[in-house]
Amino acid sequence: MKNCDELEPLIEAIADGSLELPPEQLAHLASCDRCAARLERARAIEQLLSLREAAAPPANFTQNVMAQIGHEQWRTERVIDLGFNLAMAAGIFAILAGGVGLAWSLGLLTITVDFDAIAQALGGDFTGRVLSQVQTIAMAAVLLTIALALWWWAEAATD
Amino acid sequence: MRSTSEQELVERCRQGDETAFRELVDQYKGMVFALIVRTVTDRARAEELAQDVFLKVHKGLLYFRGESKLSTWIYRIVINALSQERPRAAALSLDDVGEGDRPQLQLGAEDRSFGDLLLKDRLQKAIERLPLQYQVLVNGHYLKGMRYEDLAEALNLPMGTVKTHLHRAKRQLRHLLETEFR
Repeated sequence: MKNCDELEPLIEAIADGSLELPPEQLAHLASCDRCAARLERARAIEQLLSLREAAAPPANFTQNVMAQIGHEQWRTERVIDLGFNLAMAAGIFAILAGGVGLAWSLGLLTITVDFDAIAQALGGDFTGRVLSQVQTIAMAAVLLTIALALWWWAEAATD
Repeated sequence: MRSTSEQELVERCRQGDETAFRELVDQYKGMVFALIVRTVTDRARAEELAQDVFLKVHKGLLYFRGESKLSTWIYRIVINALSQERPRAAALSLDDVGEGDRPQLQLGAEDRSFGDLLLKDRLQKAIERLPLQYQVLVNGHYLKGMRYEDLAEALNLPMGTVKTHLHRAKRQLRHLLETEFR
């Protein structure tokens, strides 16, 4: 029993051939059914493991990886483009605002707001103006919706 | 340490040479996919993970310093990907094999010594029960071309420890299967 316990943790090393036993333990292995059965199972496991076939990747695997990389690069470029455009817009706005601010501080530009005119524009006459343009507004809304839908569809298709 | 051809390939990839990266994928896809599919048995998921590994390789090549072999670095990425994808197999029983799943295999004489045609399938289920590091060792060690050194470097373990862990992993497998066969 003592020999069995000593041998048990070594069974796998014996089975894969990485350990050679001293004569005393070899003799025990030859005479002990329990240890022999353990070794037989360990050898069977060893053989099954070495016989396992390596599953091959699908034929189009490389192609798929390259397509994904292309898509990732496109997305990165798009983010960079968006950032660049936003930075440009912010820059132009800052220059314009700076110019206006400078002109105003130098007294070259004065801004006056005619509140009476605004109140008049928002009065009864405003609703009439909107109603007369309903057709144009509806057409613009339809065109905008179509454009947004097309954009959404193109985004979904590329994802 | 990298060989010259490997170094050249990495340099070409870094310069954005698409053909070079295609070569790299072709060179390592077999090993990467085989290692993943042995651990994540769902083939479709394994394919996704293998693709993700190569996307990470593509992004990470700029930061690859060449202190280890390219293959070792890639195996490390595989192991990280697998550790994030914890297998749900721990809950599986070795009996969890339906009639329809039973393999109709023509086994060799040695396999028959176990006296059970389900052994291969049970072995797979037993492997799925092992801790991830043991799974990677068992799955990786028996892949052609994968050496102890590669596994040791990828797992950041000394060679002796890898051998000890591999023996422990196989011992756990035997215990699992012995329990089944009683």
